[in-house]
Amino acid sequence: MAEISEAHDSDSSKLQDNGSEAPQRPESEPDFDPKLMRKTKPGLKRLFLTFSVLFSFLLGFPFLWKSVEIYRSPLPFSEIDSLSTQLRSDNLLLPLHFHALFVGFDSDPDSVRRPILSEIAKPTSQNPKCSNNYTLSVTVDLGSRCLRSPTSSPHSSSYRCGSITASDFVQNDDVAVDERLASVFGGKNNGYSVVVVKGGSERAVVGKHRHAWMVVGDGSEVEVAALKVAELLVKVFINGGREEGSIQNEFMPVGTNGKIVLSFNLLNADPRDWVYDWDFEKIDDTLLAPMIEALGPVANISVESQVLYHTPKALFSYWNQKLESYVFSTKDLPFFVNSNEWHLDTSIAAGERSKILQFAVYVPSAKECPLLLQLPNGEISKTNGFVSPMWGGVIVWNPRGCLKDTDFESSAKNIIPIQDLENMFEVFIGQFRQLFGFKSVNVYAGASGDWNLLPSERGFTEWELDVLSRQQTCFNLHSCVTTLGSLSRLVQSLPRMIIMDEIGKQARYQDAKLALSNASSGEYEYSAASSGKARSLAEDAFLHPSIMSVSYYSFEHCFAVYSPFFLPVSMHVMLAALRELRRYKQEKAKYLAWKAKEKPAS
Amino acid sequence: METFNNSKPILLFLLLPCLLLYSLIAFNSSSVEAAMHTNNWAVLVCTSRFWFNYRHMANTLSLYRTVKRLGIPDERIILMLADDMACNTRNKYPAQVFNNENHRLNLYGDNVEVDYRGYEVTVENFLRVLTGRHETAVPRSKRLLSDEGSHILLYMTGHGGDEFLKFQDSEELQSHDLADAVKQMKEKHRFKELLIMVDTCQAATLFNQLQSPGVLAIGSSMKGENSYSHHLDSDVGVSVVDRFTYYTLAFFERLNIYDNASLSSLFSSYNPSLLMSTAYYRKDPYKRNLEEVPVTNFFGSVMETIHTDAAYKALSRINSGRFEAQTSLDQSVHHIERRMPMKVNDQEETHNIIPEGNKQLLQGEEGASKCPWSTFCNKFRKGENVDILVNYGLVAMIPLLVILTWLVQ
Repeated sequence: MAEISEAHDSDSSKLQDNGSEAPQRPESEPDFDPKLMRKTKPGLKRLFLTFSVLFSFLLGFPFLWKSVEIYRSPLPFSEIDSLSTQLRSDNLLLPLHFHALFVGFDSDPDSVRRPILSEIAKPTSQNPKCSNNYTLSVTVDLGSRCLRSPTSSPHSSSYRCGSITASDFVQNDDVAVDERLASVFGGKNNGYSVVVVKGGSERAVVGKHRHAWMVVGDGSEVEVAALKVAELLVKVFINGGREEGSIQNEFMPVGTNGKIVLSFNLLNADPRDWVYDWDFEKIDDTLLAPMIEALGPVANISVESQVLYHTPKALFSYWNQKLESYVFSTKDLPFFVNSNEWHLDTSIAAGERSKILQFAVYVPSAKECPLLLQLPNGEISKTNGFVSPMWGGVIVWNPRGCLKDTDFESSAKNIIPIQDLENMFEVFIGQFRQLFGFKSVNVYAGASGDWNLLPSERGFTEWELDVLSRQQTCFNLHSCVTTLGSLSRLVQSLPRMIIMDEIGKQARYQDAKLALSNASSGEYEYSAASSGKARSLAEDAFLHPSIMSVSYYSFEHCFAVYSPFFLPVSMHVMLAALRELRRYKQEKAKYLAWKAKEKPAS
Repeated sequence: METFNNSKPILLFLLLPCLLLYSLIAFNSSSVEAAMHTNNWAVLVCTSRFWFNYRHMANTLSLYRTVKRLGIPDERIILMLADDMACNTRNKYPAQVFNNENHRLNLYGDNVEVDYRGYEVTVENFLRVLTGRHETAVPRSKRLLSDEGSHILLYMTGHGGDEFLKFQDSEELQSHDLADAVKQMKEKHRFKELLIMVDTCQAATLFNQLQSPGVLAIGSSMKGENSYSHHLDSDVGVSVVDRFTYYTLAFFERLNIYDNASLSSLFSSYNPSLLMSTAYYRKDPYKRNLEEVPVTNFFGSVMETIHTDAAYKALSRINSGRFEAQTSLDQSVHHIERRMPMKVNDQEETHNIIPEGNKQLLQGEEGASKCPWSTFCNKFRKGENVDILVNYGLVAMIPLLVILTWLVQ
């Protein structure tokens, strides 16, 4: 094509030259050089043609670009970045308000406040990602008036002087005292209150709500009491009475979508010996439902149950003559669960990312009954059960009178007596608490004295739920932000990947922001719930099935597909246009030169 | 030339504190995450079709049987078999698969739960299992639902070559794909430790791109070596097991769930003259000392258990008023330690690990201020920013094309 146009070009120039020379000018114009000048205007037709082709190409380019474009829903990259830097730079500060009330003391509140504050401010080896922001107010109640430190605090000023007296604590009913305190302090603010009362028999109790009280003898020092209060605040109200550095502080048995499925299994080891059934619905209503409701902000819990037959255990137990029973020891526990025969994970209700916790009651067969768990110190376990972190718990339940099989009808279907079932589920709740890291012993043994812990019929006391909510908020927020960060890095590293609108909707930073603001204002429950939602959405976005690098080709691939056709064609079009332009300029210059020459002549 | 020579020591001086600083940071950050091992998972993949690849299915089923025997339950095993040899019409023993010519053990006996079979075994599905990106309809049993406390065994067998493993005779898993999937798993805390075991030709090349910490990889052969089958079963008519897997199984047959043989004893049990190839393991991204890691950490499942010392006496207290403290209960929690040959101190060893990518970054920045050409060389040598290089190449092609078109006319 180039050669043809070249030939044509030279032909035409020759033609034009001939044309210009054809009239054969007289010698009156000897300075007319046909190589440098021409007398006619150069034609625009060829230029117009080549340029129209070029322009049509240029016009077509946006259409092509649009047609090979990949749909990418816009993600809030900058907001995600700023959120993660915000969370990383300043630690998440969760506010905690403490209020210590001293009744029957007449000391300066400032002098009491200082040692407590210094105890609290000591760094604890808790989660380094989130820290707490403490405020402490101390009130000394003198009956008619109060001494406060600091003088104006929203949490101490709500307390009316003289509403708590030593006579409130004379009665022996701890539950009634707890209710009395709850009515005095009210549940509207998130303050934790400790009441220290002088006079009476000594005892120290932590209530079901956010209060604790301590009755001390007449002659006791205020400093000793202050130290004990400080320990209570740090160890119980902040850390939930959990052992520091224990494994459960790392793991929360909650699924990434904020759901837990509690699967209760009744395992009849050998149905030829006996078959047991249970009245699960009743126990579900009375014991489990309040607990599930209480844990609502932390996790969305659902319950299911099943009865399984033919489920032998995996380990071997031996006969102990002294105890007249079969015994297995704690070091064998890892091999108790027979994972090949216990088909526990049969749930279809459990979503893809919810956590299933298995709780199993093992009913031993006749040849291994009664079956007892022996502790390393030789004692027999009171609960006859154990937990496995992040998995669940197992209880061995021995049918009554399984040794004397004379009065036993093996064929009949038996029901586990309701009293046994209640005991069993109390152990299960203990195990469930254990999975969250809480102890179920109702005494907290501190360095400066013991505290009795009032158990809540809901399974978790309010201050325990607060601990869980704080931990869950912190964990969820960090996890959500790192997930969103990974997502934005991944999406940016794959520029040819389709991003569906669904991902754009799920990759929301607003929920995390809301949780952050809730957390810093002390709304633990709301922040736990909204952070859980944020985390769940972030997980959904990151684990969206359309994000697979193997499904997408790179830009090089696109280039390689289109360039063999477009590159050679576009080169020629562009070069032709360029050359035509140059030729036109040349010819025009010739014409202008002739014009310039002609003017002075005429 | 002289200035260039001078710049080298300066560069080193600048580099050294940066590296030291970085190692400190790395030490700190890795000491924070000290998650505990809570459960075990196994992903067992046979990638080849057709009757003559009988041995690959037998390999995978043998491993399946072993890990199940050592305590990993079926719901935590993802078994992928690319073909169904048991029901193949050429199988003289229908519904049976053997890994030895003595036919003593039927691998396809009872309770074999195949999660992905036949044409479901694709690179895409394999990567979906690893990364956890499934369609919502995929059931739980087909998903790898591991968490930050999981140890995962990934066993693959099939036909492979330099940095790839063939799936279904039609597509390939490349070492980059594998490394990318593992990196995403790490980012999403889908495992604590991962053991990749590959029985294929040139298996070691498959690990070249792996960089994520906590990953241990062992392959049956080095680059340029083949992995051979162990013996031919003249009754079945094909080879029934590969050498590497055969000797792995021989090691495990001696073990039961209570044993605590270490990984290093497994790795040193491979004899190159018997394998007819060199078993190669890569442990640089893995922190722990192999002599202290029992094989049951990956090939079995030993539950972590804690005795429950008290029930939560809430119900029985509802109506009773004052209660007395249960001081009689012993408050010590009997914590049964995982069977460890030795106490492992994770934190002491972590400071050796400097992730490769970041080191490059440091060097790259350092070099850029000194000599652009050496930066370029560095990048080129380490294969960093290959995309940019390719783009440059493509741009460089355009002037060439222009010149050519120009000359031709």
